[in-house]
Amino acid sequence: MGDDRILNAGSGGGVSGFSGGVGNGEKGINGANGGSAGTLAEGRRRGLGFYVRIYRKILVQDLKSKMSYRADFIISTIGMIMTNLAGFLTFMILFGRFPSINGWDYHHMLFLYAFSLIALTPVQCFFDNNWNLRFMVQSGDFIKYCFRPVNVFFYFMSEVFDVKGLGQLAFGVGTLIYAWNKIGLGVSVVIILKLIVYLMTASLFMIAIMNAAAATCFWIQGSGYVMVIMFRFKDFAKYPASIFSSVFKFVFTFIIPIAFIAYYPSLVLLQPDSVPLLSWLSPLIGLLFFWLSYKFWMLGVRKYDFTGS
Amino acid sequence: MVLNSTCNYNILDIEKENNRYFTSKGKNMGNEAIIMKNVCKDFKVLNRHEGLKGSIRDLFSRDYKTISAVKDVTLTVGKGEMIGYLGPNGAGKSTTIKMMTGVLEPTSGEILVNGVVPYQNRTKNCENIGVVFGQRSQLWWSLPLIESFKLLRDIYMVDEKDYQDMLDLYSSLVDIEPILHKPVRQMSLGQRTLSDILAAFLHNPDIVFLDEPTIGLDVSMKSKIRSLIAGLNEQKKTTVILTTHDMGDVDALCKRIIIIDKGMKIYDNDIEKLKSYFGAYRTLKLIFEDGSIEETVIDESKTDIMDVIKQNDRQKKIKDIQLIEISTEQVIKKIYEGGDI
Repeated sequence: MGDDRILNAGSGGGVSGFSGGVGNGEKGINGANGGSAGTLAEGRRRGLGFYVRIYRKILVQDLKSKMSYRADFIISTIGMIMTNLAGFLTFMILFGRFPSINGWDYHHMLFLYAFSLIALTPVQCFFDNNWNLRFMVQSGDFIKYCFRPVNVFFYFMSEVFDVKGLGQLAFGVGTLIYAWNKIGLGVSVVIILKLIVYLMTASLFMIAIMNAAAATCFWIQGSGYVMVIMFRFKDFAKYPASIFSSVFKFVFTFIIPIAFIAYYPSLVLLQPDSVPLLSWLSPLIGLLFFWLSYKFWMLGVRKYDFTGS
Repeated sequence: MVLNSTCNYNILDIEKENNRYFTSKGKNMGNEAIIMKNVCKDFKVLNRHEGLKGSIRDLFSRDYKTISAVKDVTLTVGKGEMIGYLGPNGAGKSTTIKMMTGVLEPTSGEILVNGVVPYQNRTKNCENIGVVFGQRSQLWWSLPLIESFKLLRDIYMVDEKDYQDMLDLYSSLVDIEPILHKPVRQMSLGQRTLSDILAAFLHNPDIVFLDEPTIGLDVSMKSKIRSLIAGLNEQKKTTVILTTHDMGDVDALCKRIIIIDKGMKIYDNDIEKLKSYFGAYRTLKLIFEDGSIEETVIDESKTDIMDVIKQNDRQKKIKDIQLIEISTEQVIKKIYEGGDI
């Protein structure tokens, strides 16, 4: 199956606990690259292996240099823990009071919350440079990414790895295991595989949203607003989409696909007897959204005038 | 100034000279690093609105005006040449470089860089070029230089032996030891520029584009960088396109210069020839007994210098006399000023 292939490609990445996410993302980049360019065929080929190797090398160097600034490292680690703790406490206080929302009890809500935390890790860790894109584009510094014989999107994203995402990941995994036990989902190879595939799927959606939001800076100057709004929308990801009115449900499913960050993928695990078609299809839709966002991003690069010197 | 009127005449002469240069060069096919034929670049500039609402409106707006940045530029650069690419701010220099590097697509005309159409084969083109933008480091900010080098070695897939040879060549040309293990962010501007130039040559590209490599550097660093560029050009036969406002760079490195103004090529020939157009001009500097100084630009074909000196001496006693040859800088200045024919 298509999903299994993605999974195998992912396990080769071996970058972090969520190696699947990297491998998957890279596969998307490479796939799109191969598709758009017969241009590489003549020159030395730069395939998936090349990109994984380069990413790993940049990452190792980046981590080394980050750890050499010890105070900075410690403070940002503490900050990261506090942020996640605060988010978690808010959640506890809010949902500890309701026995159930629209058929979702506390532990199911907790599951969704944890699921969304994990799914949001890759966008935070690997695609955080999207936040700097508009500054680079406005100052003209962006041009430096166009002078290397590698994919511009890859080269740009590889520059920043945000360690803060790892705390969120640890928090999410802990919470997910707790909720998993309380709900009594059980453990089997199939369900773990499902979990990994659908987590990766979920993360693709957030990556796609942020890519698209960031890429608006190639056309408009107020792209900061677009990014912040989209980033805020992710807060809705931790609620079951069934509680929204039909209008919002439609918007969060088909326009800004927030509902795919946790709700639709987690239904595969939480309600195995009555999984909606959209949930089953979410890996494909996720890849499609990611590919579209990537194309949009690259279109921005091509269309951008690089005015000023 | 009196000179401006005569200057226009000269430029028309130069224009003829350009075309001759191009056609004579154009015959040696296969020996060109860069060929540009009738290249134009227009920019559509949007009249932007403010705020989020305005930004969204801009997304759908068709309120454009067209600016042509490069107009019908034709030029060839031979392999191994070092070219000074000059022009006042906003003349279209950067736009040309961006088209040569494959970042921008020309509106019309043809460009071939190492036999490749840059915009259509950006990745392939990038393997054979190196680029330095004066104030913008392209290195990894937090990494020591040697780690950046290693990453570049992997990105360009340089053989280990070639890589080592290049490092050896570097250390024979400049003292790289003190900067090799220093993170780029801790470097001085001069060290950073030096690092960027070394990084641009690391994969032994056929062409290196240097955009104002010596901007903001002190005199000793400038000469260090000039001799490094000259050394690399000589050793590796690398074609160098040097964009600069510092005529010292041009005098030290380039035999041939191309001048562009308002998007049009206005001069393309040897630097010496350019000077000879203005060779009849010299500056006479008179220092008088009372401390006052007078500088006059003299066209020797019309005025006799001795007459000027005698005339002045009658009024005030002259203490010292200097006769200054026209510098490239002054020549360029005259061309820029008289450029609007």
